[in-house]
Amino acid sequence: MTASDRPEPGNPARHATGAGADLAAQIGLVARGDAAAFATVYEQVGPSVLGIVRRVIRDPAQSEEVAQDVLLEVWRTAFKFDASRGSALAWVMTLAHRRAVDRVRSVQKESERERRTATADIPYDEVTEAVESRLERERVRRCLGSLTELQRETVTLAYYGGYTYGQVAILLGIPTGTVKTRMRDALIRLRDCLGVAV
Amino acid sequence: MKLTGRSGRARGWPWRRGTGSGEHTLAGAYAMDALSSGDRVAFERHLAGCEDCAQEIASLSEATARLAAATAVTPPPGFRERVLAAAVVTRQQAPAETLAGPAGARIPAGRTPAAGFQAAARGPVAWLRWVARQGWRVRLAAAAGAAVTVAVLGAAVAFGLANGSMRQQLDQAQSSSRQIAAVLTAQDAVLRTRAVSGGGTATIVMSHSRHALVFTAAGLHPLPSAHSYELWLVGPAGDRPVCMIPAGGHGTTGPVIASGLRRGDHLVLTAEPAGGSSRPDMPMMLDVDL
Repeated sequence: MTASDRPEPGNPARHATGAGADLAAQIGLVARGDAAAFATVYEQVGPSVLGIVRRVIRDPAQSEEVAQDVLLEVWRTAFKFDASRGSALAWVMTLAHRRAVDRVRSVQKESERERRTATADIPYDEVTEAVESRLERERVRRCLGSLTELQRETVTLAYYGGYTYGQVAILLGIPTGTVKTRMRDALIRLRDCLGVAV
Repeated sequence: MKLTGRSGRARGWPWRRGTGSGEHTLAGAYAMDALSSGDRVAFERHLAGCEDCAQEIASLSEATARLAAATAVTPPPGFRERVLAAAVVTRQQAPAETLAGPAGARIPAGRTPAAGFQAAARGPVAWLRWVARQGWRVRLAAAAGAAVTVAVLGAAVAFGLANGSMRQQLDQAQSSSRQIAAVLTAQDAVLRTRAVSGGGTATIVMSHSRHALVFTAAGLHPLPSAHSYELWLVGPAGDRPVCMIPAGGHGTTGPVIASGLRRGDHLVLTAEPAGGSSRPDMPMMLDVDL
């Protein structure tokens, strides 16, 4: 491995906003077929793509397959990323989460979904040890903690559990209208707490 | 634009006024992919005509992205190499071709087994190109000599297309793509990207455990017709010609396999008379320490 195969040495701000512009620029290079830039993009988002896919899908082998598909989609369709519509991280994570959710909804049998319900809140296992990831995780955990219990439950079940708002309403025994508004309120509060905006 | 939610009503956006009615209340659920597919389609129709809603979704997606980033895990060994190697042999979508709908719902044209049969019927080069365009699963299956190749050969026989020479060509194609897959999926696969002097970029995936490497290049400068690029392995075991590089469309070349890789070898690219040479001519347009 030589210098040109690797991204710049670890910058503590990599996952935070400071790395955002950098990631966007790298994805611009990927769109023009730059394999070295793709390696850099992988270093920045690969662990998160695999993380969220695995959180939703659970099964390690399926998760790896879906995460690899997502990363290849980043490679194949990098030209679609539009920096005026949001950050590069949001673009990649939206691809990853949607692909994971589509997978569980299309293939998961009822029995498996029930088993997933029981384990839907397995928290922070197998996490990366990188400092920036740990700080990010602490920040997200703190902001999740600032939500009301109902808001937090709707977010956890919908985003990490992969359930529709209708399913969340059934699981929590509350009306769908309430779930919808709690979800939106929760994300607005999270967004403000995390200090992210477009 | 910074949306604060709390002040949305104060800013007077009519779609924020309601508490439970109207499609915009689905913004949170949409940003978390918590809509059923029918609801998703309906909401996206609504989004297309509502710039404020699109802005809100964008800002909420920044929050969900952080929820995702907080789940980062250390990928298993070999995952990085598999992803990078798969990218090298995966054709990128061109902007002009994106007429399809949302990502994920698309079945790329030419991805069907029938397309494979058609490509096979056009000869081994067309088939290899078709294989190279496929997703990594199809490609690996093809390369492993499993489903696709067997199906293609079977179909060729069934349609009366397979004479002796075609069968031989298919065998060669199958053997070559099997070798390529073996390198790309090797646990010790390493990716190298280098600029070629004179123009273009070379990408190499090599595996010492497989004693082989896969070479691809993009944007190579066209040579006069009497000359071709030639690939060499140069090292303690001597200078060995690998192959002439066929000129590809749009300056894209390969993938080609170079076997017989040994420790201490360099990969060298030169311009040679079209018939090939017995030893590499100067100057070297690419010299990669392997």
